Amino acid sequence: MLLFRSEEHIERWWRSWKLERGAVLTMEQAWRLAQAWYGPDRRHPGWRRKTVDETEALFAELGFTSAFWNLRQPGTT
Amino acid sequence: MDQKPDEFDSQIRQHIYEVTLGRGYPPTLAETSGHFRVAVPDVKAAFERLAAGHIIVLQGDTGEILMANPFSAVPTPFLVELAEFSCYGNCIWDALGIPAILHKDARIKTACGDCGTAMEVKVVSGTVQGAVGLVHFAIPALHWWDDIVFN
Repeated sequence: MLLFRSEEHIERWWRSWKLERGAVLTMEQAWRLAQAWYGPDRRHPGWRRKTVDETEALFAELGFTSAFWNLRQPGTT
Repeated sequence: MDQKPDEFDSQIRQHIYEVTLGRGYPPTLAETSGHFRVAVPDVKAAFERLAAGHIIVLQGDTGEILMANPFSAVPTPFLVELAEFSCYGNCIWDALGIPAILHKDARIKTACGDCGTAMEVKVVSGTVQGAVGLVHFAIPALHWWDDIVFN
């Protein structure tokens, strides 16, 4: 995940790498994602990775609902 | 080693993050071996199990930690300056994750992924300031771990 000056720079980048446009977040959105993702204390004995369900719920809470954020293989639930 | 692997791995993970959050980069195999007074191969096996569980990422040949997310063990284009130390994030998300996980103010120094122009992001009192720029996620979420180093 990279930082860009503008949409114009993002487009030039993905075209030059022959990729597709991915998901674009404002700095505020990225900061909220970072806070939510890295909030739980990884030094704690009870810490564990988020489940798919938990991650989906987090993405939904942040408004990340497009297919880009889908975590399940097509055809699975 | 008398413990079950799960218990040992949990202790190793806690130690990795205790060290990393205190100094900005993860412990080596030798450091971890010394801390727990267990053989390096036992620590290496624990690192490998944690990596298989996507808890950490290892360097290709040595078995040393490459990423204890959000921290990088090696220099990257995402320098994070804190009052106590400077360190590196693995990407812009992780660079933001460092002040988030530490609950500290930070200055992130990076560059536009396209043109290389220097960019700076400040996190102050739990808010991101001077929020110029856009974050681009190139790989869909389902495939983030297919090649986490590229991602």
